[in-house]
Amino acid sequence: MTETLTWDGAASEYAIGGRPLRRETERFVRGAGEYVDDVRLPGTLYAAFVRATVAHARIRGIDTSAARALPGVVAVVTAADVAADMARLPGTGGPIVAALRFHALAETKVRYVGEAVAVAVAESRYQAQDAADAVVVDYEPLPVIADAEQALAPDAAVLFEELPSGNLVQEVHFASEDVDGAFAVADHVLRERFRSHRWTPCPMEGRGVLAQWDPLVGVLTIWSSSAGAHAVRGRVAAALRLPENHIRVIIPDVGGSFGAKNGTYPEELIIPYLARRLERPVKWAETRTEHLATVRQGRDQVHDVEVAVRADGRILGLRDRITADLGAAAYIDNALMATVLYMTGAYDIQQYAVDAYGAATNKAPHGSLRGIGKADAAFVIERLIDLIARRVGRDPTEVRLLNFVPEDAFPYRTATGAILDSGRYHTALRRAMELADYDGLRREQAARPAGRVRRGIGTSLVIEPTGAGRRGAGGGFGACRLRMEPSGRVSLFPSHAQQGQGHVTTFVQIIADRLGVAPETVDVLPVDTNTAPFGTGAGSSRSSVVLMPAVYVAADRLRDKIVQIAAHNLGVAPDALVIDGSAVRAIDGSERGLTLRDVTRIAYNDVYLLPPGMDPGLEVLGYFTNPNIVYEPDERGRHNEFAAYPYEAVVAAVDVDMDTGAVEIVKYVSVHDCGTMLNPRIVETQHVGCIAQGIGGALFEELGYDEDGQLNSTFMDYLLPTVNDVPALTLDHLETPTPFTPLGAKGAGETGTLSPPCALGNAIEDALAPLGVRIRQTPYTRDRVWRLIHAAESQRAPQRE
Amino acid sequence: MEKVLSPEGAARVRIAVTVNGAERRAEIEPRLLLIHFLRDVLGLTGAHVGCVIGRCGCCTVLWNGRPVKSCMVYAVQTDGGDVLTVEGLGPLSPPAPPSPQGGEGGTTPCEPALEAPLPPMGEGGVGGRGLHPLQQAFWEADAVECGYCTAGMLMAAWGLLRQNPTPTDEEIKQAISGNLCRCTGYRNIVAAIRAAAAAMAEA
Repeated sequence: MTETLTWDGAASEYAIGGRPLRRETERFVRGAGEYVDDVRLPGTLYAAFVRATVAHARIRGIDTSAARALPGVVAVVTAADVAADMARLPGTGGPIVAALRFHALAETKVRYVGEAVAVAVAESRYQAQDAADAVVVDYEPLPVIADAEQALAPDAAVLFEELPSGNLVQEVHFASEDVDGAFAVADHVLRERFRSHRWTPCPMEGRGVLAQWDPLVGVLTIWSSSAGAHAVRGRVAAALRLPENHIRVIIPDVGGSFGAKNGTYPEELIIPYLARRLERPVKWAETRTEHLATVRQGRDQVHDVEVAVRADGRILGLRDRITADLGAAAYIDNALMATVLYMTGAYDIQQYAVDAYGAATNKAPHGSLRGIGKADAAFVIERLIDLIARRVGRDPTEVRLLNFVPEDAFPYRTATGAILDSGRYHTALRRAMELADYDGLRREQAARPAGRVRRGIGTSLVIEPTGAGRRGAGGGFGACRLRMEPSGRVSLFPSHAQQGQGHVTTFVQIIADRLGVAPETVDVLPVDTNTAPFGTGAGSSRSSVVLMPAVYVAADRLRDKIVQIAAHNLGVAPDALVIDGSAVRAIDGSERGLTLRDVTRIAYNDVYLLPPGMDPGLEVLGYFTNPNIVYEPDERGRHNEFAAYPYEAVVAAVDVDMDTGAVEIVKYVSVHDCGTMLNPRIVETQHVGCIAQGIGGALFEELGYDEDGQLNSTFMDYLLPTVNDVPALTLDHLETPTPFTPLGAKGAGETGTLSPPCALGNAIEDALAPLGVRIRQTPYTRDRVWRLIHAAESQRAPQRE
Repeated sequence: MEKVLSPEGAARVRIAVTVNGAERRAEIEPRLLLIHFLRDVLGLTGAHVGCVIGRCGCCTVLWNGRPVKSCMVYAVQTDGGDVLTVEGLGPLSPPAPPSPQGGEGGTTPCEPALEAPLPPMGEGGVGGRGLHPLQQAFWEADAVECGYCTAGMLMAAWGLLRQNPTPTDEEIKQAISGNLCRCTGYRNIVAAIRAAAAAMAEA
C-alpha cells in the first residue's frame, strides 16, 4: 500500500536514529491505557454541562429547580452561584481581549452554540445528563454574526459591548521597505481572494477532567486530558484563588490532541471548583457533540492578496489583507500572527506587506489546529504559485524552483524576520517529481482522451515552522529532570507529555544513547506538576525542538557526574571511562570498572568517596533554550517566533469525476524533511497520520455555520477520513538537520497536514481549468466541486440535443 | 433477565452475561449502554467512548462472536450472551514460561523478543502475560500512537479473522471501515492485521 524509499533506518536498537518499537504500545494493545475517564476514584460524582443552544443571546434567567430535584443530583451550578468563590479571568492572547473578564460559565450572554451556561453534578453520568437536560434557560436572542467580514462591518451586532473596537479583537500590520517599488516594476499583478474554511482537530479522545480536593492538606489534584499541565495549574490557581503549589495537575494517557488540548478550557476551571466545593471527586468526560461545538476550531481566514510578478514568474512582492474568524474570542491563539509571519512560505520574497484583522464572531473560540496559521499561509501562497505559472505560461514546478530560497542561503531571514534554519527545497521538489515521474504524469494527462473523469496534477512545497516561543506566551525552551535511583534505575520527568507522538520511546533512545545505560532500566514518569519542571506544554511540535535537546543535555550532565565519581574512585581520567549497561568501565583494556550500584552507593550513602566539592545524589535538571527565536521585534516589527522549519514537497495526481464532484487521489508522493529523524519509524507513522488528517481537512471535514449557529453536531455530519479515504502513498525523507540544537531534529508532528489542501487544490484546478473552474477555497468536498463544475458547464451553454 | 425496582422506585433489570469467559451478574438501568456497563460497572476500561452514535468504533467489542459498537447496544440485550473485550484477548495457547532475565531484580524488556515464535493456533485464551497475535502485530507494525482507537481496531480485526482467517486487503479495510483513527493514517493498522493473519495461518 505504501512504498518507503531511500532512507535505510538503523536496526531496532535504542540509539538516536534507531527504530525500536514503542514501549508505550504494550499497555495500549492490552487495553491497559489510563485515559482520564479510566481513572477511578471512590465516591466520584459526574458532571454534565448545560450549553447554549443559540449562538448569540442574553440570558434572561436560568431555572435549575427541576434539575436539582432529580434523583442522584448533588448540585446544579450557574455563574451566579460561583461568583463569590471564583475569580473572573482575563481573556488571553492579545491586548484587546485582555480587557475582558470571563467566568467559567456564561454570565449575562452566550456568544456561541455550546457555550457552558450551567453544570449539573450527580451520582452517575446518566443522572447528571438528566439533570442538565432539565435545566431551563430563558434566552433573548440577538443577531448572530457567522462571518468575520460581517463582524467587522460598521453596523454589526457586537459580541463584547465593553470593547471599544467592536468585534475587532486582533490587528497586525507589517510592511517591508519597498513593496510599492516591487509592484511598480512588475510585469504582472495578480489579485485573488482565497478562503480557508473552519475545521477542527478532532482527536478520538475528547476532553475530560477529574478533580479531587484533599481538605486535610488543602491540595487539589486534577487529571486532565490536556497538552499542558503547568498551564492548567496556573489558570486554576488564578480562578480558584489557590496558590499554584496547592494544585497538582497530572496528565494521564491522552488520546490525541492535534492542538485541541492546548490552553486551558472553562471546564478545566469549574470541575476543580466543584470538587473543592462538594468535597468529593468530580469527573467530566465530554460527548462528541460537545467536542464538535466547543473545542477550539481552526483555520477560517479570508485573504485578499496581490502578487507582483516578473515575466518569467519571479515573484517581486506580495500584499495581503487577511480577515480571520476568531470565534467568540475569549482566548486568542497565535494563528493570525503565524499566518502573517509566513505568507511568503518557502520562497525568496523580500517585499511583503500585510494588514490583518481578527474578528470575534458567534462561533466557538478559535485555537490551534495542527499547522496553526501556517497552513492558511501555505494554502494561499501555494495556490498563487500555480496561478502565476498559468499567467506566465510556465509549469508550476518551474515557478517554484525559480522562487525557492536557495539551498546555500540558510539560515535565511524572511521579510518578516523569520529565520528559516535549514532546507533543501529544490532537492526535495526535484526528488518528489522524480519519484512521481512528473514528466510521465504530464504526458499521460495530455494523451488522455476527453471524458467525464479528468486528471489533474498538483505540486506544493510547504514549510511548517515549529517550536514557537514569543513574548508574553513563553515557549522556546524545554525542561526535564533526570535521576539515577539508588538501585541504578533511571527516572525521567519531562516537562510535557505525549498525546501519541512516541515521545516516551524517543526519550529512552536519547538517554540510552548518551548515558549508556540499558534502555529497559529507564522509566519516563507521567507528567505531574509536583515532579515535572515547568514547561509550556506540548504543541507547535516543540518536543523535538526543545524538549528532546533538554533530555540530551540532562543525559550528558548525569553521565559526566557518574563518570567523574567513577574516575575519582578508580584513579583514572574521566575520558578513559564509558558507561556500558550496568557498569562504568575503563576503555584502556585494564578491565577496571565500577558497577552503577557502586556509583549510586557512593552518591547516596558513602558520600565521603565523592570527588571534593561534589554534591551527593545523582539528579540533574536539563534545560534547552532554542537560540533561533528572536523575541523582540525590530523597528519594523520583524522577529522570529518559530525555532525550526521542517518542510515537505508533494506531487499529487487526482481524477475528478465531473458528474459527482468526487476527487480520487491516484498518486500522492511526499518528500519530507524534518531534520534528523530521532526514530524514523515513529516519524513516518506521525507523517502518514498528518497526511490523513490533511486529506480530511481538504476533502471531507467542514464546520458549517448559518445564521443560527453551528450546524454539525456528530460524526454523521462531520466526516473524518476512514481507512478507505487514505490513498496509497509514496514517501521519501531527507534529513537536513537544524543547526540550532544538538540533535538536529525539527519536529514531525504537523507538516504533512498542510500539503493536501495545497497540492490537491492545485491538482483539482489543473484538472478543471479548461472549464474555467477556479479553486479559491477549501474544502474540496464533492458537493462543492460538483457545484463549481456545474456552474462552469452551465455558463458555457453547452449544445444539448 | 429479571426486572426489579430500585429503592427509589426506578426500574432495574438483573442480567447475567459472560464477559471474557466469566459470568458477570448485575442489576442495572434498562437504558445503560453496553459500553458504560463494561467500563463503569465491570471496570473494563479498554473499550472507549468516542462518539456514542456508532460512528467511530472506539467502543467495538465482540458480542456472541460478532463485532458490535457497544455504544449502540443496551447492556440488557446481552443478557445470556457472550461478550469479549480487549482485556479478553490473549495468546492463542497457554503462554510459554518466561525466559530468564539478566540483571539484578530483573525487569521486563520493553521490546518484545522478536525472535520468539508466535504462539500456535488454539482456543482463545483469557488474559495472561502473553499477547494475542493481533496485539503483537499491532506493536511490531507501529500501528498504535495515542492508543484510543486501538482496542476497537483489535476487536474489529479479531471479529474478521475469526470468520475469515485469510482476508484480502480489501476485506481488512472493509472490516475496519467503521473504526476511525486520527493518529496513524491507518496504513500500519492494515499492515498489522495482514501480518497477524499471515502469522496465524502459518502456525
